[in-house]
Amino acid sequence: MNSKAYRLVILSLYVSMALILSYVESLIPLPLPIPGAKIGLPNIITLVSLLTLGWPLTLLVVVARVLLSGFLFGGGFSIVYSLGGGLLSLFVMALILHFTKDGFSLILTSIFGAISHNLGQVIVASIVVQTSSLMLYFLILMFLAIPTGLFIGITARELMRLLDKTTIFKRLNS
Amino acid sequence: MKKKEFIVITILLVISLGGIALYYIINATNQPLYVRVTSQGEVVTILPLSEDHTETFYTPSGGYNTLTISNGKAKMTDADCPDKICVKTYPISSPGETIVCLPHKLVVEVVTGNP
Repeated sequence: MNSKAYRLVILSLYVSMALILSYVESLIPLPLPIPGAKIGLPNIITLVSLLTLGWPLTLLVVVARVLLSGFLFGGGFSIVYSLGGGLLSLFVMALILHFTKDGFSLILTSIFGAISHNLGQVIVASIVVQTSSLMLYFLILMFLAIPTGLFIGITARELMRLLDKTTIFKRLNS
Repeated sequence: MKKKEFIVITILLVISLGGIALYYIINATNQPLYVRVTSQGEVVTILPLSEDHTETFYTPSGGYNTLTISNGKAKMTDADCPDKICVKTYPISSPGETIVCLPHKLVVEVVTGNP
């Protein structure tokens, strides 16, 4: 199998795994009266994809996951917010990984990704409802993003450690 | 966890918690509190938070949100939006706190004196 087809297989695996994690996430509501607070399970895939495929292909993974999960499990309305959060989050995480090179911390990348995801969602929500009073709401979400981002970061780090032992990614860059 | 990660996480925790605390301190007041209801970016009504009251707001598309004020707290008690996120939001009672119904573009917020 040539490397282009191989990359396509990995890419579609990422999309399907992210989609499943979106669904699993929708089954476990956090027992918090804060709307929009999520664990962010699909971000595990976004992180792994950023590390293995780079940001241009990860952009495809994120957009495909948001559109598919929006049409399958959410209302058409939730797509706009997920997209706002997902894209800002991806942008911030890609920047961090780009500028820190080998000295990066997956945990910190994940936490900043989680915070910027919330920021993206709050910005889109502020535009939609035409209000500027969502600052407190963002601060609460930011506080919650720290433990969830930490959890996702540790999970992604351990997953990468296991995946690096396999030969899956050896052929990716050949 | 490395030292660098621990430091950055601590800083972020301080920023968010400090921000929340600062928000409440800045907005703390002895003035009477009101509940401002905004729909599609326009103020619909302003209700005193001290009086028990229940009112249903209808959107141009036919949806509804029922807001209940009791014991100095405002809570969305019913709505026909798909996600029911506004109904799940905690009751608000401090200045600056908000309940948002995104599908109906409805914002309920606590504001201070002289509206």
